[in-house]
Amino acid sequence: MLLKAWGTHNALPAGFDMPPLLNQFSLLHAQTTPFPAWGAMHASFAEQAHLLGIQQPGHSLPVGMDSAAFALAHPALSPIQGHYVSPASWIPLADFSEPLLQAASGIMSVHGRASGRAQPLGVGYLATLTGAMALQATLAAAIGQLRGGTFQQVGVSPLGCGLLGIGQYLAGATAREEREHFLPGRANACLRPPFRSADGAVFELETLDSGPWRCFWESVGIKPDVAGTAWRAFLLRYARAMSPLPAECIEALAHLPYERIQVLAEQAGVAVVPVRTVAQRRQDVDYQRGQGQPWAFSEPAFAPGRPWTASAPTHLPLQGLRVIESCRRIQGPLAGHLLALLGAEVIRLEPPGGDPLRAMPPCADGCSVRFDALNHLKRIQEVDIKSPEGRQLIHELVRESDVFLHNWAPGKAQALMLDAEHLHAVRPQLVYAYAGGWGSAPVTAPGTDFTVQAWSGVADAIATASGTSGGSLFTVLDVLGGVLATLGVTAALLRRSLTGTGVHVESSLLGAADLLIRGNAPPPAGTLSGVYSTRSGLIAIDCQRPEQSRSLATLLEQLAGAACPASLPEQFHALAAAEWEVLLSARGIGACVVTEDLRDLAADPRIAECLGHRAYSFVKSPWSFS
Amino acid sequence: MSVSVIVPTLLRPLTNGEKEVYAQGNSVAEAIDHLETQFPGIKARLVNGDQVHRFVNIYVNEDDIRFADGLRTLVKAGDSLTVLPAVAGG
Repeated sequence: MLLKAWGTHNALPAGFDMPPLLNQFSLLHAQTTPFPAWGAMHASFAEQAHLLGIQQPGHSLPVGMDSAAFALAHPALSPIQGHYVSPASWIPLADFSEPLLQAASGIMSVHGRASGRAQPLGVGYLATLTGAMALQATLAAAIGQLRGGTFQQVGVSPLGCGLLGIGQYLAGATAREEREHFLPGRANACLRPPFRSADGAVFELETLDSGPWRCFWESVGIKPDVAGTAWRAFLLRYARAMSPLPAECIEALAHLPYERIQVLAEQAGVAVVPVRTVAQRRQDVDYQRGQGQPWAFSEPAFAPGRPWTASAPTHLPLQGLRVIESCRRIQGPLAGHLLALLGAEVIRLEPPGGDPLRAMPPCADGCSVRFDALNHLKRIQEVDIKSPEGRQLIHELVRESDVFLHNWAPGKAQALMLDAEHLHAVRPQLVYAYAGGWGSAPVTAPGTDFTVQAWSGVADAIATASGTSGGSLFTVLDVLGGVLATLGVTAALLRRSLTGTGVHVESSLLGAADLLIRGNAPPPAGTLSGVYSTRSGLIAIDCQRPEQSRSLATLLEQLAGAACPASLPEQFHALAAAEWEVLLSARGIGACVVTEDLRDLAADPRIAECLGHRAYSFVKSPWSFS
Repeated sequence: MSVSVIVPTLLRPLTNGEKEVYAQGNSVAEAIDHLETQFPGIKARLVNGDQVHRFVNIYVNEDDIRFADGLRTLVKAGDSLTVLPAVAGG
């Protein structure tokens, strides 16, 4: 059925002849970057546009678009101008950099819950995330124009993008009842996954059920009550970004060779995934075959048709489009949430009785706030997708929808006869999207955030930067994977708007990881970047240019006066973090208070426009359109 | 034996809004049966036949009953039963 494909992500028929997805579009960049200290952001934005086939001619923006950071052009469109925005009383755009935004948005705090202290991830995470979100808003605006709307200006808030990344944790930390209060550095950074064997192998364990977990730990000599304590911490690590395990568990595996652990785990039904390096990942056949594509697009062999009938959008570019989402946990629901923020009507399919995640505390107004943070904009339709009646209902919904998005386990869509082939037969103009775990990698372990971090080299990169043995327990890849799934859907919708044909798009956590690592450039030579304790709070400093470092040195000398020279960390104890931020920023030195308690975000008047408040604090759309 | 039961937010409509209620029994199963006599409908939210629902975790004090004797886990006077809905994976 699938005749034309682009990308090599999945097992598609040979003979790819589909032209690069969006090769009729071109992207122009401003001559002067708005982010002199954040080159990785522009690089990732441009790379993702390139991966979608968008042309990027060498010349810069034409006269009249001087204030824009970039513009998307197409013969059928008025140019769409992109602008980056920042809250007026907050750090100016020109000072933005990866460490400062990770500090401000709470990512350092969440990462620090299990890594010993608030600290950067050590990878260009927000560069990749913001690049994707800037691009998807721009492509959405193009869809809006092609549907009769007037969307010529797009605003993107990098801070808003970062805040969306920790939206679930913010919800938990600000819930009216049963509020979570997890601060960085409180948990022992050694008593957490991954594990280390007697012969030095570092690896993740994964199982989604307590039975195999209990069986495995009993087989290595751990008493059931201790295994139970470990299970609770392990179970909640996705929600809490920490997993304080009993020392007995860590020690038991440290006395066994890796091969023996693999045998016992296999017998128990627990997956073992080694923490590999980026270099190892790059040797994988699927990596080399993938050519850097986080998406695989293909088009069904149906005659083109008119993809939509709704009236022109007025406020948001995807207004009037309908998305059917059948997703669990984080990656897929976040993708649906972003499509809803762009204006789509999202109908979320849940099993009879509702998604069990609705009950995970903290709860407010009858629902988990963490769940609500990702799903409050959606309409819920309960359906038993395994029953003939359920399938019939899904067909009826799909017949009047534009996107079907799922994140089921591999093979389930075919088993349910809800795969792209079946649903394109129902609705030829459908964008059928799968947000999976492993892409085409030959891995049978559950494709979850932490197993994919381990396999992809992301965990090793973060561990190396953080001084820990494993990756982040912040769901780095679920969030980025959700954002990239949305970008894939948006690109597919734009393609459809030109061709009138449906599209099948697949993305994965592993594709997100590969993209993240590829864009991860080492900091420029001479960079002075770090997080320092002050008299009150932590300050993140990022000096990328020699003159900034010199200016910092001069300032510290002035403040020290005649006192004995102190080491750099000691010198920061002279003032509070907020005072340092003002003092350093005024001298052109990149500096930002590190958000340690996520509640501080909700209380900070300078970024109030980014957040809304109900029974918990939630993150507003990082985009604006006009 | 009287044990206290910490009720998660979403089940509180069944316990008239009470966060902590009390139940009698020598095992978790008996305590849940007694809860059902006081708060009809609560048992079906916790167990399915002789198994705890997959996404429900029940602790006797700090111990997960799946790592003890399941619903047959014994309780004694003064013990605390905590119900925690949770889903593995991300």
